[in-house]
Amino acid sequence: MDLTFTPAEEEFRAELRSWLGAHIPQEWTHPGFWESLEDSESFRLRRDWERDKADAGFAGIQWPVEYGGRGGTPGMKAIYDEETVRAQAPRTVNPLGLTFLAPTVMAIGTDAQKKEIIGPLLRNEVVWCQGFSEPGAGSDLAALSTKGVRDGDDFVVNGQKVWTTNAVHGDKIFTMVRTEAGSEKHRGISMLLIDMDQPGVTARPLRQMSGASEFGEVFFDDARVPAADCLGEIGDGWRTAMLLLSFERGASGISQYTEFRRQYDEIAAVARRLGRADDPVIRDDLARVLTELECLRLHSMHVLTQVEQGRDLGFEASMTKLQWSEAFQDLWEVYDRILGEDATLDALPDGTDLRPLHAQAMWSRSVTIWGGSSQVQRNVTAERVLGLPR
Amino acid sequence: MFFALTSDQQEFGAAVRDYLAERFDLAAVRTVVENPSDDGNPASLWRAAGEQGWTAVTVDEEHDGLGLGLVEAQVIARALGAGVAPGPWRGTVLAADAIRLAGSDEQKAAWLPKLAAGEAVGAFTTRGSAATGLPVVEYGALADVVVAPAEDGLPGLALITGATASPVGSYDGTTRLASLDGGTAEALPGTTVELQKQLTDRATVLVAADLVGIAREALTRTVAYDRERTQFGVPVGSFQALKHALADLHVGVTMAEHAALYAAHAVDTGLDGAELAVAVAKAKSSDVALQATAAMIQFHGGIGYTWEHEAHFFYKRAKRLAGQYGDVAVSRERIASLTIGA
Ligand SMILES: Cc1cc2nc3c(=O)[nH]c(=O)nc-3n(C[C@H](O)[C@H](O)[C@H](O)COP(=O)(O)OP(=O)(O)OC[C@H]3O[C@@H](n4cnc5c(N)ncnc54)[C@H](O)[C@@H]3O)c2cc1C
Repeated sequence: MDLTFTPAEEEFRAELRSWLGAHIPQEWTHPGFWESLEDSESFRLRRDWERDKADAGFAGIQWPVEYGGRGGTPGMKAIYDEETVRAQAPRTVNPLGLTFLAPTVMAIGTDAQKKEIIGPLLRNEVVWCQGFSEPGAGSDLAALSTKGVRDGDDFVVNGQKVWTTNAVHGDKIFTMVRTEAGSEKHRGISMLLIDMDQPGVTARPLRQMSGASEFGEVFFDDARVPAADCLGEIGDGWRTAMLLLSFERGASGISQYTEFRRQYDEIAAVARRLGRADDPVIRDDLARVLTELECLRLHSMHVLTQVEQGRDLGFEASMTKLQWSEAFQDLWEVYDRILGEDATLDALPDGTDLRPLHAQAMWSRSVTIWGGSSQVQRNVTAERVLGLPR
Repeated sequence: MFFALTSDQQEFGAAVRDYLAERFDLAAVRTVVENPSDDGNPASLWRAAGEQGWTAVTVDEEHDGLGLGLVEAQVIARALGAGVAPGPWRGTVLAADAIRLAGSDEQKAAWLPKLAAGEAVGAFTTRGSAATGLPVVEYGALADVVVAPAEDGLPGLALITGATASPVGSYDGTTRLASLDGGTAEALPGTTVELQKQLTDRATVLVAADLVGIAREALTRTVAYDRERTQFGVPVGSFQALKHALADLHVGVTMAEHAALYAAHAVDTGLDGAELAVAVAKAKSSDVALQATAAMIQFHGGIGYTWEHEAHFFYKRAKRLAGQYGDVAVSRERIASLTIGA
């Protein structure tokens, strides 16, 4: 057992910490700051900040140096995750491009794709969307019906995607498109990289239950995509998608823990202020959540250990998603119980603004749906990890 | 960063599990369960505990021990829990810990080599006191030496020998309990309030690890059964109601494994937050062991409710240990007081 980081990793932490200290304006850390902004304003601020961060050498921590990354260790990435959350750095504008697309391109992209995609991603000049879900294909991704018909050097794409994060602000979208007429299920799908700023592509915001519009729908009406903009082999998009989704695995539980632990402390403070911290039921509730959060922290350290030893976690990764999403949701349910009959008010009778907290409470309803719903993760765990029959 | 068992530590656990699988399987456990008037400590198993170093694990090398930590001890505890193995292993290790950490040189010389070799049986309790009697002691009737509070409500530990034991019944047939009275008590001179807390933490971690072992084994056995058992023409394990429950248990048991391991490490190294780590480990392991053993009965159907099936060994042992050193509610209250204040 050795829970320390290497001296080089600790040096990196110090460097990062001091940069973050100097580059995160005080007001950004005030409760409710980000929620008070228009979506587009928030997007602009975050994008500029990330460009500066890349210029300072804090982007692509684990990416190879040849791609402009830092060539860091998994430990450095974990430190990066922890420190950025601790400093209350804004959430990235480009989660899908950075965590899914970039490593996939590095692994199987053509030289031209590597050159064209990775550099701009590092500086967040191109924001990517993930066009997988459709109105008729969510958990059952292979049921997708968006079609691409070959026409010379291009594919002509028709269909609709939905719940697409960043649909309105995104520049490009990696999509799953059925490019083989009459093909079924996993066969005949291609992963096309589509420019969203072109005739035939329309994005419309969808309002979420939180009031925000982070996601939207994307329509393709005879949108043209060069066949060269297929990631992986044409017709082999399922394999590309599986590779891409495997990059969801890693040490991300550490940033989740850091953030949720801060929220736990905030919620405990609310309980104290309202005189609810000595209610034995509330104490039991909070302690149950804290137990799960601590387990998340330990699990993340275990995952990091595995990653550092070059082990593939495989389907065990579903466990991380289940653990953090369900603990996070539970935390905000406890928060509701603490507020009791005032849970839905915008502000408490003493004037405390509850809206920033509500935003988290609403968001907690989504985390067990996206990225593979909890039910789907349980199926994966039961069938692929425990070996129960399908 | 290395948060995992080393291969040496894994092998330690595997050796205990292999021994139990080959020489002391559930049929042997059944013999102990079904003969409650026996002393509950089969000679062959106890000999193995001594010979293979299970009892010597934390005793220092100077006193013929292995000089290892609570991390290694919890590996053994987990394996013994998985085998629902009977015997006074935990009490012996804890008594040795108390003597090692707070005993005089004479006490150490007198007891540690014997306890390490399994030649003497130790017991440990935090209930009652040498002055007023000890109401429930695991393997109290067998113990050559018992470590217990010296006086009710006051700091201080005593070594008790020659007490009079009366059996205390329990539906967990994998153990033997006794109340103790009288005997000779001598003080453990090095005891401090801090140390006493640390010993209780060590006891709590070993119980948590036993629970983790029970939970993992209950789950593994249930998964194996549900893969084979068919109803409606298909294996019952293909039904989603079972799958989802078993998947949740897998996540829960894995988290409890992490929690027990971390708590052991935190106590071994005196980490800040060790107290919280111990409470988390106990809350999580108690919770998940109760769930996993109840699920074991449920997902075996009628057979799981029979005396003939072994599910009840796991369930009953989990019930007993889940209540020791703070049940789920008590452990959570400790967590609450550490994180949100009194
Ligand atoms: C905030 C948010 C952001 C998102 N961002 C994106 C994005 O950027 N790109 C993108 O492509 N998609 C995105 N999604 C979509 C998300 O991936 C899908 O919502 C998800 O895959 C579930 O699909 P569905 O909504 O069609 O639900 P359905 O698949 O219709 O599921 C309905 C219910 O049935 C359950 N269910 C389905 N199948 C099974 C099964 N086999 N066993 C048991 N239960 C089952 C589900 O768990 C769920 O409870 C986002 C969703 C949200 C909420």
